[in-house]
Amino acid sequence: MEDLKHLGLLIIGMLIAFTVVMTMVAYTVLAERRVLGFIQGRLGPNRVGPGGLLQPLADLLKFIFKEDIVPDKSTRFVYFLAPIIATTAALMTMVVYPFGPEVNLPVLGAVRLVIARFDVALLYVLGVTSIGVYGIALAGWSSNNKYSLMGGLRAASQMISYELALGLGLIGVVLQSGTLDLYSIVEQQAGHLGISGWNLIWVQPLGFIIYLIAAIAETNRVPFDLPEAETELVAGFHTEYSAMKFALFFLAEYVNMFTVSMLATTLFLGGWNGPFVHQLPWLGVFYFLGKVCFFLFFYIWLRGTLPRFRFDQLMTFGWKYLVPAAIINIVLTATLQWLGVFDYFSQFLKTSTGWGG
Amino acid sequence: MLALLFILFAGLAIGCAVSMVVQRNPLYSAISLIGVFIALACLYVTLAAPFIAAVQVIVYAGAIMVLVVFVIMLLNVEDEERRPLRLRSLIPIAVMLAAALFAEAVFIIFFVQANPKTPAHTVSDIGMTSSIGGGLFTTYLLPFEITSILLLMAIVGAITLARTGGLLSPRAVVVPGAQVFAREMLDREKYIDDLTPVTTHSTEEAEKLLGLEHKDQSPKT
Repeated sequence: MEDLKHLGLLIIGMLIAFTVVMTMVAYTVLAERRVLGFIQGRLGPNRVGPGGLLQPLADLLKFIFKEDIVPDKSTRFVYFLAPIIATTAALMTMVVYPFGPEVNLPVLGAVRLVIARFDVALLYVLGVTSIGVYGIALAGWSSNNKYSLMGGLRAASQMISYELALGLGLIGVVLQSGTLDLYSIVEQQAGHLGISGWNLIWVQPLGFIIYLIAAIAETNRVPFDLPEAETELVAGFHTEYSAMKFALFFLAEYVNMFTVSMLATTLFLGGWNGPFVHQLPWLGVFYFLGKVCFFLFFYIWLRGTLPRFRFDQLMTFGWKYLVPAAIINIVLTATLQWLGVFDYFSQFLKTSTGWGG
Repeated sequence: MLALLFILFAGLAIGCAVSMVVQRNPLYSAISLIGVFIALACLYVTLAAPFIAAVQVIVYAGAIMVLVVFVIMLLNVEDEERRPLRLRSLIPIAVMLAAALFAEAVFIIFFVQANPKTPAHTVSDIGMTSSIGGGLFTTYLLPFEITSILLLMAIVGAITLARTGGLLSPRAVVVPGAQVFAREMLDREKYIDDLTPVTTHSTEEAEKLLGLEHKDQSPKT
């Protein structure tokens, strides 16, 4: 009976999380077009539905009904496999993020708003993210197109390079909290009014900046979108993809944006923590999604603001600045932790009004 | 339930391993090997070793195999031709080795079934991250450090080989894929044997390295 309840919760949780994330991803695309329009002094799509709100639906219909063209000399199996890998890897990380604290549901009783909670959640996220590279690299290789190949090669080298900085940047947080379990990391960030305990400002400012930059590079977004630099490579790795297969890559990119934002929220912005969460647990979900939306807006803002890096600048920046900075952050965090500076701070900041405290 | 998962992932691992050996296209072999690694990681999870599983995926499937795929893509390797076996004398040795391996497996299975031992920890916290970390930095500190030094030696060796190999000037920095030249540029006779990507900081520098001259270069003052 207990097992059955657990399984049922798991399935319901996945369905809800999938629906919410997919809807938000669809509207991120619309938001991106509208915000970019605003930044560039034009309107953006506003014709379908009130204020353009039905635009994602129209886009989806268009993707479905477009002709699906497969290049004649492509490597068929890999060509079909690549978008599947990209989308699957992007969606798989969704299960470990804590969307909210423990809430009381009418029939099921107290339920934690996280689908799967386990010991190595953070490593799982890093592992699945590193599998996502194959989607792009194989797409570039199998299309039998030199621009695609260039895009795929660029994506592979860029993602290997920035994965290092990303992982090293997160070690500070892990040292701080002493666990890889995302739910516990969020619980530890409860502080006065649910704000003062955040890892961001008080303890990991350098780690946060490193993570943010490396995450942008990992998701291939501006200013690190060299794998699909349209001025040099037509459309990069997805040049030969059309219709629904292109839509899958498109989806993977935005889901990746979303999951990277969720990880940043979880590790640095205190996850669901916020004012009055311990009185009204459901507020936590809105705080969490609100913080994620802030990051998504930040992404779009960057896209409207910054030009693209050159490839050698990208590599120099990743290897010569970001990785050393991340190593300095690790040494610094470990030293301060050893000297007990953080304990002093946390006693100073985290008063007993924290969530669950 | 666990048995079902074991059969699923073990079957996947064996299938991918066979496919890796049989495939003639190097990239298909690489993809099969990635499949083997992921299936093994899933098996580790069912054996209550989530940390090893995660590390397996991150290190093998996520880092090493990406480099392998990268190199295959960069060299654009064609399908290997099906050649007749040259060393037929090796076949009996291979059969004998396979038989020895099989015998070992059978022996271990019977040995374990004959002498079942209760595990030291009934509650399986042994695969957890904290216990692995604690073990690495206390009981097994010396082997851990020796392994680190071994890896460091490998890195230093690779750098030394790359620097004095004579392919590039000593000042050149080799970064995989940092600068990929178009094939037409590389197909010049004098550079036909040097396809190592080299980091350059400007187009002029790249052209200088390749021995190309700017035709309509505006005079610099």
